[in-house]
Amino acid sequence: MTTTLIPTTARTASPKRRVKRERQGPAWVFLSPWVLGAIVLTLLPMAVSLYLSFTDYDLFNPPRWVGLRNYVQMFTEDPRYWRSVTTTLTYVVIAVPLQLALALVVALALKSMKRGKAFYRSAFYAPSLLGASMSIALVWRAVFNDGGTVDNLFGTGGWVNQPGWALLAVALLTVWQFGAPMVIFLAGLQQIPAELYEAAAVDGAGKWRQFLSVTVPMLSPVLFFNLVLQTIQAFQVFTPAFAIGAGKGGPADSTLVYTLYLYDRGFVASHMGYASAMAWVLLLVIGAVTAVLFRTSRSWVFYASEGDR
Amino acid sequence: MPGHRTKGFWSSAAALALCAMVAGCSGSGESVGGGKVVLRYTWWGNPDRAERTEQALALFEKQHPDIQVQTSFSAYEAYKQKLATQAAGGDAPDVMQLDYRQIDQYASGGVLLDLGEQKAALRTGEIDAGLLATGRLDGTQYAIPQGRGTETIAYDVKAWKATGVPLPGRGWTWSEWADTMRALAEKTGKPGATDPGQSEDAFEVWLRGQGKSLYTKGGELGFTAADLTRWWTFTDKLRREGAVSPAEQTTQLDGSVENTPLGRGEALSDSNWDAPASGFLALIPSGVALAPMPSGEDGTPGQYYKPSMFLGVGANTSHPKEAAQLVDFLINDEEAAKVLGATRGIPVNDSVRKEIEPQLEDFDKTVADYQSSLEGTLNPPPQAPPSGDNALQTTFQRDYDQVSYERMSPREAAENYVTEAKAELRS
Repeated sequence: MTTTLIPTTARTASPKRRVKRERQGPAWVFLSPWVLGAIVLTLLPMAVSLYLSFTDYDLFNPPRWVGLRNYVQMFTEDPRYWRSVTTTLTYVVIAVPLQLALALVVALALKSMKRGKAFYRSAFYAPSLLGASMSIALVWRAVFNDGGTVDNLFGTGGWVNQPGWALLAVALLTVWQFGAPMVIFLAGLQQIPAELYEAAAVDGAGKWRQFLSVTVPMLSPVLFFNLVLQTIQAFQVFTPAFAIGAGKGGPADSTLVYTLYLYDRGFVASHMGYASAMAWVLLLVIGAVTAVLFRTSRSWVFYASEGDR
Repeated sequence: MPGHRTKGFWSSAAALALCAMVAGCSGSGESVGGGKVVLRYTWWGNPDRAERTEQALALFEKQHPDIQVQTSFSAYEAYKQKLATQAAGGDAPDVMQLDYRQIDQYASGGVLLDLGEQKAALRTGEIDAGLLATGRLDGTQYAIPQGRGTETIAYDVKAWKATGVPLPGRGWTWSEWADTMRALAEKTGKPGATDPGQSEDAFEVWLRGQGKSLYTKGGELGFTAADLTRWWTFTDKLRREGAVSPAEQTTQLDGSVENTPLGRGEALSDSNWDAPASGFLALIPSGVALAPMPSGEDGTPGQYYKPSMFLGVGANTSHPKEAAQLVDFLINDEEAAKVLGATRGIPVNDSVRKEIEPQLEDFDKTVADYQSSLEGTLNPPPQAPPSGDNALQTTFQRDYDQVSYERMSPREAAENYVTEAKAELRS
């Protein structure tokens, strides 16, 4: 880009660029595993699924072109589709704020700890490593099942068999994995210069005031990063809903989140075309939600480097 | 830095594991273990069936020292999904167990081998012609039924007798059944049965008892929303009265006997297919007996002999002959039949059956006696269900969940189901 703007430097820069290009050979060699993976395992399947989304494909017979029928059916003739959308939105709205709030609170507590910080940091992080696994989700189901721990302690009955509560059990499994955002918050907190707190203290600000006026704005880029990341992940929740909803999104479709219904349409009902269409709608929605988050971020995310603006 | 070293170690370990996985996946189709032909054989069932199958396969491997059989099994729901994915990826197992519902889809989708090509290795002469024909599509034999099954009401004998309520007998009607469940619930405080509203199979029996059917000959829906409304109103009322299992129990059904209310000790009976009912014995050691399904109010029987658990060979198998030999062994070998008993239904090979029947023990005998008690009283089976039925079974259960959790009225849910079913059958 600089070349077009400032032709003089472009001329002097061109030999250098040639050198760079010559050096790109080895770079591509080292990149090739990733590039191959990206093409074969991500880009090609995506292209195929885009094609399939306009077809009727039952896995056994060749796909048949049906134009927009899958999309039309999804939006106008499938009440269960809309139920899965509502369920997913409810889940995102419960799980993401709870998880981020918990991550932030624990990160703040850890930051001011004098001893044992490394231990607790690892301990709180552990669920993030385990949580995505099927086995933990199954344990979670057992904990919240009839006669499980929660039932025994509180006498609430099994949450996983009550439509009003099952989704909360799924959300809590996500909240429990607050370790990843917590570690990022912790790193962010440690980046905040101590002078700012000292200056604030000199100006007579209490702890709460310091939190609101120093910590929150200084941490806002990290908060934003975590919010975007966790929102994207939450929209794609699958494993916990699959395990806790006993593979069917039960009881009464209360844990039938979007990806679970997508899986159901694709692999249980053998409507791969319909499932592909659902996947593309999900991609577009996540893209749109992320774009909205980025847009709102202008009004509340504070970057220290442009602080004088 | 120690931190870096650990990271390097873990990433290389992960890379190694990944390599191993990739190698494992790509190798499975063609694997040859020590010069032996390796066959993959998959099926669904319970641990009891697994144990007997392994014993039978040990016999097969002894007879054919050059063949090794690798098996895997899971519960029906999971099996169905796994098999569909494998089949779509061109990686169907060499020998696979199939349900009546899957034959149409798998045969027309080119997943199954024409077994007529393997006549030399696979004998079908001693199988009842009508039964054998159920594995045929457009004149080609794609699969062989391993047995025939019929639905039954399995009940905990000891607990039932303790209530003093008369034991179920032949020819009871749905309303007599309902009164019995009420009486049982009153005596024990526990529901008498699993709520049958969730089961498409039970609905079919009820429907046939009224002279109707799930599907028409043309593969369209054979009943109306009004029929389904009546069925769900009937079961919903029983659930509200506590005569059948509550929603919290019903929703946990996944096709395994362990997760039925009877299996958990929360109810006295369960409607199921007769062969898988053997799994109840492990859970209720004091004894399980089988009663016929209720019939229509005028005595029309709804249950039927259904060809159960077909065996098919993958069209892409590299060892068609060996695969056919395994199918032949499982169906025609007397020694195999002795080990397998009635775990997949009563044997279909006539001479094997005659040989085996007197020797059947325990629950196998119960199943055999149950089937012979119904001989000649049942109406002929419906034709193989259209391929959409595979998905509708789950939809049926889901829609009834809405009824049993009282989120929809029976009418609303029934209308939903009929709409969904019509869309499913159209595509």
